[in-house]
Amino acid sequence: MRSNRRYPVDAIGRFNMAIGVEPAESTRPAVEQDHIAAPGRLIFMGIIFAIISLLIIVQLARLQLSPQAQVIVNDDLSSVYHIFYPPRGEIYDHWGRLLAGNIMVYEIGAQVAYVDSPKTIAFALTKVLANHQEYNNPGYTSAQYQADIEAELLAAIESGRPYVPLADFVTEEELGQLKVWASTYESMPQVKDDDGEPASLAGLLYRPRLQRVYPEGGLVSNVLGFVDRLGQGYYGIEGRYNDLLAGTPQPTWFPLDPNRVNEIPEIDPGSDLVLTLDREMQAAVMDILEEALDDTGASSGTVVVMDPNNGEILAMVSLPLVEMKPYWETDSGRTENTPYNRAVSQDYEPGSVFKVLTMASALDAGAVTPDTVFHDTGSISIGGITIHNWDYGAWGEQTMQGCLQHSLNVCLTWVAMELGAADFYSYLQDFGFGRLTGIDLAFETAGRLKLPGDNDWYEADLGTNSFGQGIAVTPIQMIMAISAVANGRGEMVMPHILHSMVRDGSQYTPLAQVVGRPISAETAQILTEMLSNSLEHESSVALVPGYRVAGKTGTAEIAGPSGYTSNETNASFVGWGPVGEPRFLVYVWLEKPESSPWGSVVAAPVFRDVFARLVILADIPPDETRMSIENP
Amino acid sequence: MERIQSITQAYSQTPWRKQVQLIGIFLLVLVASALVAGVYLNVTARTNELGREIQEMQVHIYGYYDLLGDEADPEDIVPIEELEQNIANLRTQLAYLTSYQVMAARARDLGLEPVDPEDIVYLEIAGYAPPEFVVLAPPPQPVVVSAAGLDPAFRESLFDWVGIQIRETLKYFNGVTP
Repeated sequence: MRSNRRYPVDAIGRFNMAIGVEPAESTRPAVEQDHIAAPGRLIFMGIIFAIISLLIIVQLARLQLSPQAQVIVNDDLSSVYHIFYPPRGEIYDHWGRLLAGNIMVYEIGAQVAYVDSPKTIAFALTKVLANHQEYNNPGYTSAQYQADIEAELLAAIESGRPYVPLADFVTEEELGQLKVWASTYESMPQVKDDDGEPASLAGLLYRPRLQRVYPEGGLVSNVLGFVDRLGQGYYGIEGRYNDLLAGTPQPTWFPLDPNRVNEIPEIDPGSDLVLTLDREMQAAVMDILEEALDDTGASSGTVVVMDPNNGEILAMVSLPLVEMKPYWETDSGRTENTPYNRAVSQDYEPGSVFKVLTMASALDAGAVTPDTVFHDTGSISIGGITIHNWDYGAWGEQTMQGCLQHSLNVCLTWVAMELGAADFYSYLQDFGFGRLTGIDLAFETAGRLKLPGDNDWYEADLGTNSFGQGIAVTPIQMIMAISAVANGRGEMVMPHILHSMVRDGSQYTPLAQVVGRPISAETAQILTEMLSNSLEHESSVALVPGYRVAGKTGTAEIAGPSGYTSNETNASFVGWGPVGEPRFLVYVWLEKPESSPWGSVVAAPVFRDVFARLVILADIPPDETRMSIENP
Repeated sequence: MERIQSITQAYSQTPWRKQVQLIGIFLLVLVASALVAGVYLNVTARTNELGREIQEMQVHIYGYYDLLGDEADPEDIVPIEELEQNIANLRTQLAYLTSYQVMAARARDLGLEPVDPEDIVYLEIAGYAPPEFVVLAPPPQPVVVSAAGLDPAFRESLFDWVGIQIRETLKYFNGVTP
């Protein structure tokens, strides 16, 4: 292209003169043409460049203004919020048997951009999950469920949400059915939904995740507690150690903008716990207690087995088991207003098993000795009330062993009076009454110990407290206090269920804790001997053939709105053995037994049966065999 | 000098030069813009492509699978979280199979029953060690602060350091390797 434009001659002439070129008539047009052609080519190039540049800029604008970019720019939709829940730590028994584990379930959701037929998805999910416990609620029909899913999908499509969860806790079998539905629809493209769209489950995603389960069922449920659908632990070990077991969830925002992609956070799994519980012992105790409840007609029963040397809880059963709501009903998890675990959460008046502690206090303080003789007249007055024996009889002269053997209220009241209120309550406080034991189970209750000086304490309480009435204690408090006697050292050990914790590849084992020394070792051994002799002299049904045991029965009247009733009782027994090498401290409590109100009749056999099973499970030979091995 | 000035003046006053200047400036701006935009577009596109790949990998790491069949290929690298999930799942299934209820039922089916204490014979076996609590992991290693683990700068005196330097220098010159 050549420009026809002419430049003024004088200007060209001036330029030629300046550079010393004599303009020649013949060359003038050529020079003029070259100079004139240059802008034309430049304009041509400029247009080309302009077009390319414009294309680039248009492409930039197109990308920036595209609907996808708008999703990224929109604050509400620019990121996806995701909480990474670490796998919940597992719980094992003494020998490594799994008590609480995790099993795979699936979350079903839709990747909205790939959804072809919301109607088909809603229909298929409704059909497959029709019998799923989470959605099979009374009053919630399949039609409603289908409509809810479809509405949720349509709302997600309209709002531009990239992903919408549709179902959770889906089992392996249900997922398999969904896959079959999906592949069936894919193989039949001619099938249409109600909107005329090809029926398809395209866009459906699934994600495996773990859900807490308890392979042993109700065997240890009153100790373990439970986990709700949000992963929060309640009651027992699950509640007490929730922070350890759950680990630290990592909430993370993931931007949809690929330029701002985030790292996936590292998630430390929850700690695994090893408990002191022995599954076999727990099962044996549960079998025996179930049988005892059947035989006695007791409304509830509690048995705790502890190693008195270190406080390890070997078995803890509380029946009947609390009926749990399904895990996905998060309101309360319980259907009854009863304590989840009576051993730690229910206080009661223990009755005569408490005499062990009254006698321990008096012996330790020197108020009495085993040979001290008390003349029992059948009643004693204290604080304006008259206290009688359980049979309203007078037992005459009795040594302290006789007082324990015959469980004489009058005698023990006298012992407490000899000891004095100040020392008596000081000992009870040393034994840990009126405060929590610190056992590592959730929802422990502290009971109630009235003290001199309290508004509701009267002098008569000294008498009634001496034989376990007018005081509220839990079985776990009793077992902790009596551990000072049972281990023969006078040391009170803290009951605990956690043996060790596995975290970051290491197993941490906390040491057993001695929480006090309320009595001397000598007192503990003397009292054990007295109680062992008592059982033998009265030919108690608590005796275990081949093994020397010590123990005490207890029968407590139950206070009601109109005072104490004698037809409803709490029957208890505390025992330990083998004497000399104690391995088990067993506490039995039967509430309101019907066959007999007496602890010696209904609770003592439970102790015997439990102890007899424990020594077999722990491979403890009878005393005679042990002696022959130790002293050949 | 005067000549050069006149050339410059004449050149700057050349009529077509003004147009070239305008076009040149326009083109320069345009090309520069296009260049920057092109580079930006190219880099952004590549970054986004990589970002999308990372996001897709993350989706896989979250454990999301298409119902229509992109099952985890055993040949693929399975995220460790998913492996741990599978292991936990299998461990729990094993626990169900060996639970007390199941084992007791199997024992009953085999005709076994709880032993009578009188039927038990205890034998003394020299060296027998009763079973202990389960060990799922080693105990934590005690943290020992050893002087040997400290940086030499915190252990050496000035004279030690000078001596070491002299010995190292001598070794270097003598060609002796330590």
